[in-house]
Amino acid sequence: MAKPVVIVVGADKGGVGKTTVSRTLLDYFSANNVPTRAFDTESPRGTLKRFHSDITEIVDMTTTSDQMKIFDTLSAGPSVTVIDVRAGLLSPALASLRDIGFLDAAKAGQITFAVFHILGPSIASLDEIAETANFMQGAKYYLVKNFINDTQFFQWDQATYNSYFHRIKDATDLVIPKLNEMAYEQVEVSSVPFLKFVANKGKDDEAANYSFVLRGYVRHWLANVWSEFDRIKLTDLVGGKSTTRGGEK
Amino acid sequence: MSSTPVYIICSPRPLVGKTLLARLLAEFLLLKDGSVACFDINLKEPSLLEYLPRITETADVMDTYGKMQLMDRLIVNDGIAKVLDLGFHAFDEFFKMTHEIGFLKEALRRRIAPAILFVADTDRVSARSYPTLQEQIPQKALITIDNEYVVRGELPAAMATGQVLRIPALPSFLKTYVDRQSFSFTDYLRNERDSSTELHQWIRRNYTTLRELELSLLLQRP
Repeated sequence: MAKPVVIVVGADKGGVGKTTVSRTLLDYFSANNVPTRAFDTESPRGTLKRFHSDITEIVDMTTTSDQMKIFDTLSAGPSVTVIDVRAGLLSPALASLRDIGFLDAAKAGQITFAVFHILGPSIASLDEIAETANFMQGAKYYLVKNFINDTQFFQWDQATYNSYFHRIKDATDLVIPKLNEMAYEQVEVSSVPFLKFVANKGKDDEAANYSFVLRGYVRHWLANVWSEFDRIKLTDLVGGKSTTRGGEK
Repeated sequence: MSSTPVYIICSPRPLVGKTLLARLLAEFLLLKDGSVACFDINLKEPSLLEYLPRITETADVMDTYGKMQLMDRLIVNDGIAKVLDLGFHAFDEFFKMTHEIGFLKEALRRRIAPAILFVADTDRVSARSYPTLQEQIPQKALITIDNEYVVRGELPAAMATGQVLRIPALPSFLKTYVDRQSFSFTDYLRNERDSSTELHQWIRRNYTTLRELELSLLLQRP
């Protein structure tokens, strides 16, 4: 039986695009036929659930009962569990995972554990790296540079850049390019996964009438994001098979 | 259902005759089909809107909303031919956008037949832009316009490899005459009884060339 896979997407800072990245992950796994479930920790009102209501459950990660709901069912459900951790909760969540022995299980190879640490273009966000890295033994640690604006992530200042991005030895950088603002807003209004938006479909697969231009921008952007996931061999990490994706047919 | 042609008249250079060609093509299609929809993307040049205000609307490709307004119209297979007069300032942004949103692929899927009419010039900007278009646009949909008034000699070799459509130069006094905003090519053909005049011959020759272009595009369509 395949090892359960847990992917935590989070950041302590708010507004850096955690849920957006979670959505691209769910779309990616869906296109690659990897059975996935998701937990949205923005309790009581979940954003991820609004887009992927069929596979997402809202939980409060600070409660023991909801922690049990997630981690005691890892072997029973779909092979991949994506947890969208709300702002401010990443460090406490990782501390909880350490306390319940989850990180040790990952270190022992019983569980595949990956953390997508979403970074915004601010020192406050980058300062989280050192703290989060303390929990990353046994985990795959991805530093996700999410270009929510035309930032450079301090690449113009090599000393600052290196102090954040080249200090953690086993971390892998990942780049999420900027999505056209209007396209992003249109998907927000539509409340559908990116994949459905590109396919011009509504929530229940009914035909929709989204702008061809905006769909084109989302398709182009999603292809770039997915090529990053391909680069880090995400399907290999979750034990999926390489398939021809729906969007590439 | 047959496909809908979309003619995109473009050049990265100003004052090479884009609007003249757009006027000719629009009047030709109007005469032949009874309908045509024109889009004027010129802010800094003589404007198609000033010549054909009843069938032309302005468009902007510098922001996303403008792109949506334009492209969502162009991608509709409604049987009405579209003519786009693309100003030189919008050249790069327009083709960057069409590449990103996959316009040509989607056009094929929806039975839209785009034809990119690249008005040639001998300068470096044109020489640099043409290969960019070649990378994005299938050869059969990329037509070089050899405007004799602008090129005045041999076309650059790279631009002469595909289909070329030649527009003969008009004498300056006739050019001034057709440049008047009230001038209509079709009205001139209808009202001028002497069919031997130079302008009459020029318009008829260009209409014939455009008809041949349309036929060649029609034959290439799936």
